[in-house]
Amino acid sequence: MDRKIAPEYFQAEELKLITPEKIALNNWVDLYWIKDVKDDSIKLDIEWRAGSKYQDKPLVATFVNKMLMAGSEDLRAKDIAEEIDYYGGYVQTELDKDHGGVTLFGLAENMTSIFDVFEKAFNELSFPDNEFNKEVSIALDKFKVDSKKVKVLCRRKFNEALFGESSNYGKVATEEDFSKIHAADLRDFFKTYYQKAPVIFLTGNISDDFIERLRNWANRFNVRSNDSTVQEFVQEKGRVQVPYQDALQSAIRIGRLMFDKNHPDYFKFQLLNTVLGGYFGSRLMANIREDKGYTYGIGSGMSVLEDGGFFFVTTEVGTDVKENAMNEVYNEFDRLRNQPIPADELMRVKNYMLGEFLRQTDGPISMMETFKNIYYNKLKPTYYNDFIEAIHDASAAELQDLANKYLNKEEMLEVVAG
Amino acid sequence: MIKFEEFKLDNGLKVIFHEDKTTPMAVVNIIYNVGARDENEERTGFAHLFEHLMFGGSKHIENFDSPLQLAGGECNAFTNNDITNYYDVLPAQNIETAFWLESDRMLELAFTPKSLEVQRNVVIEEFKQRYLNQPYGDVWLELRPLVYKSHPYKWATIGKNIEHIADATMENVKDFFFKYYSPQNATLVVGGNLNLDQVKSLSQKWFGDIPAREKYIRNITPEPVQQEAREKTIEREVPADAVYLVFRMADRMSDEFYVGDLVSDILGRGKSSRFYQKLVTEQRLFSQVSAYVSAGWEDGMIIVSGNLMEGVSIEKGLEGIWQELEQMCSHEIPERELVKVKNKFKTSKVFSEQPLLNRVMNIAMFDLMGKLDEINDELHKYDVVSSQDISQFAKKTFTKNNSSTLKVKAK
Repeated sequence: MDRKIAPEYFQAEELKLITPEKIALNNWVDLYWIKDVKDDSIKLDIEWRAGSKYQDKPLVATFVNKMLMAGSEDLRAKDIAEEIDYYGGYVQTELDKDHGGVTLFGLAENMTSIFDVFEKAFNELSFPDNEFNKEVSIALDKFKVDSKKVKVLCRRKFNEALFGESSNYGKVATEEDFSKIHAADLRDFFKTYYQKAPVIFLTGNISDDFIERLRNWANRFNVRSNDSTVQEFVQEKGRVQVPYQDALQSAIRIGRLMFDKNHPDYFKFQLLNTVLGGYFGSRLMANIREDKGYTYGIGSGMSVLEDGGFFFVTTEVGTDVKENAMNEVYNEFDRLRNQPIPADELMRVKNYMLGEFLRQTDGPISMMETFKNIYYNKLKPTYYNDFIEAIHDASAAELQDLANKYLNKEEMLEVVAG
Repeated sequence: MIKFEEFKLDNGLKVIFHEDKTTPMAVVNIIYNVGARDENEERTGFAHLFEHLMFGGSKHIENFDSPLQLAGGECNAFTNNDITNYYDVLPAQNIETAFWLESDRMLELAFTPKSLEVQRNVVIEEFKQRYLNQPYGDVWLELRPLVYKSHPYKWATIGKNIEHIADATMENVKDFFFKYYSPQNATLVVGGNLNLDQVKSLSQKWFGDIPAREKYIRNITPEPVQQEAREKTIEREVPADAVYLVFRMADRMSDEFYVGDLVSDILGRGKSSRFYQKLVTEQRLFSQVSAYVSAGWEDGMIIVSGNLMEGVSIEKGLEGIWQELEQMCSHEIPERELVKVKNKFKTSKVFSEQPLLNRVMNIAMFDLMGKLDEINDELHKYDVVSSQDISQFAKKTFTKNNSSTLKVKAK
C-alpha cells in the first residue's frame, strides 16, 4: 500500500429529492407536507408575507414577530409559555426582510396540544403594554451589545449602502427608533399582514386528524396574500468607513448588487463564488488565512432576497493588516479575471459542491428547506438537478468570462468598521 | 435508540461502527483523549493550536483538505477542556478517502515550519475575534481561574494569554503529537450507509500498521472542595453591567450531572423558567438571565449569568438571583414543573439525534467517557430524577461558600 496515492473516488450522483405533498387547506392556505420521517419529531412552519420590508417604521415587523406568543391582558405570556413547555414544545419566531413566521417543534404525541396553545395565543394576541415594554427594553439592551461588535456595525452599514437608505431593504434601525414605536403600530401591522393567508410547511409523521386541525384553523384566513411590488435599489460604490475606537480587529465587507436565482448566470456564478470564497479550501482562505495568517476566517457568498440579490466578501482581520487584506481580496478577483482556473482546482470545487448538495438534502428537515427555496424563489421543480448539470458542464473559460463580468473593483461597495 | 458495533485493532485503536442505511452520506470521526486539561500551565492553548496544525499536511499527504474536497467531503474539528474531536462527512461511496487522510495524520504529521507560523497567527486572530474584540468576550478568561485554583480547568481552551500561543515551538508540537496522538489514545467512529465488513477491512488496511506508541495515563489532582465565597469585579467597555455566578457541582459522568442539568433548566431554560418569569418579567432586574451546566468530565459547574437592566445595581440583581436559589432550597418543586423540563429534554433529544453526525459524535464522546454501554440510558437517567433530588442538589450546591461571583461593570 502506497500512502501517497489517494484511494479511488466517484462523483456524487443525481440528488434524490422528496417533493412534499401539497394540500390546499382552504382557498388560500396551502400546506406542504413531508410525512416520511422515521422518528416522532414534528416541525411545523407557518409563514406570512410579513417581513421587515412591509413596515412603515423601523422595528415594527421585528416586534410583531417577536411577540407572536405575548398574549393579551387575559391570557398571560407566562401561561402560554408554561403550557407549551409542559408539552415539551419549542416555539421559534423567524423574521427576514420578506417573511415573518413561527415554527413549532414537538413530538407527535403532543403536537395537537402544542398547536392548541399556539392557536389560542394567536387568536387573542393584543400586544399588552407590560409585555411590549419588557420586549423593547430587552431588545434595546441586545441592540447596544451588538453595536459594540465591529462585525455587526459593518453589516448594518453595508446593508444600508448596498440597497440605499431610503429603500425598504436598506433602512437600518437606530437606538432612537426604539422609543418611537408603540403597541398600536404592532397591532396595525399584525392585522394587516398576519391576517392574510400564510403558507404552512409540515415535516413529520402525524395523523390525518392533525391535518384536519390545521384545515379548521386555516378557515379563519379569508384574505389572500399577494406578491408585493419589486423595489428598485441604488447601490453606493467605493469605500465607506465606520468609525470605531480602539478596535483590535476590523470587520470588512466588499460586495455588490446581483441577480436572482432564475438568472442564466446564477448557477455558474455560484461555482465561481465557491472557488473564490465559498468553502474552506477557497482562494480567499488559502491566501488570507492559510498563507498570510491575517484572519481566523474569510468567505464570500451570494444572498438572494425576493426583490434582489447581492454578492459579498466578509472577514475580520487585525486592524494593522486591513489594507493588505483588502488588496489581497482584489488580487484574488484579478486572478480569476486574468487566468483560467486550473483543471484540478475546478474539479475539486465541482466535486465539493456536489457533495455539499448531498449534505444539504440529508434528512427530511433539510429536504423541506430545499423545497422552500424552490417555492419562495419560484424555481422550476428540476432546479437542483439543473444546478448539478450546470456545474458538471461549466468550463474554465466560462468562469473567467463571469469573473470579468461581475468581479470588478469599480462596481464594489467596501465597508470597513474599526 | 442508537445502535453500534465495536472492535479493536492490534495497535489498540478502538473502532465503532454505526449503520444508517437511510442516508447517502458517511462520517469518519476520531476523538483523541487530549484536551486543554492536559496542557502545561506555562504553555496553555496548545491542544487547540495543535488541532489547527492537524490540517497542515501529514507524512505522505501534503494537504489535508484538497483530497477530501475532491471526494465531495467536508471536515472540521473542535477542542475543549477535555477532548479533541475531528470529523469528515462525505458521500458514502467515497469513505475510503477519509480513512486514508485520517490514518496518515495519526501516523505522523508533516511538521512544516510554515504551517506552525501561519496557524499561530490564525489562532491569535481567533483569540482576538472571540475573546477580546467583543463585549463580555473575556469573561471566561476571568471566571475559570476564580473557580479553579489548582485544576487545569482554570484556563480556557484558547489559552491563558496570547503569548503562550505566540511562543509555541516545533519541538513542543512534536512532543505533543507523539505523547497524545496515538492509536491507544483515540477512538475511531464510522457511521452511515456502509456495512461492518467494509468498515473492518478499511480500518485494518489504513490504521492497522500505525505503531501503538505509548499509552498516555492521565494523572490530574482533583480540585479541592471550595471553602469560601469568591468574588471579582472587572471594568470593561460593555453596554450593560453583567453578573456571573458559578457553583461547583459533580462531573459529567456522575448521576448528579442529570439533576444539575434539570435544575439549570428549571431556573433558566426558556420563557416559562423561574429566572425569566421572576427576574426578567416581574421584577425587571435583568434584560436576560440564563442558567446552564458546564458538563466538564472531571468537575462540573452550574453557571448563572445575566445582563442587568439600566439603572439596576449588580447587588440588586444578585439579591434577586439568590432569592430564587434559596426558594429552590427551601421549597420542593411542584411535580408539574419537573415533568415540564423532562418533556422538553425528551423533545430536544429526538431532534438532536436526527443528523448522522450528531449520533456519531455522541458515540465517540460516550466511548471516551468510558460509558458507551450507557449511551441509550440518558432518557431514563433524566426520568428518575425526583423533586427530592432537586431540593437536595440545591441545598448542597447553592451556598455562598461554593460560589464564585464575577461582576462586570460598564466603564
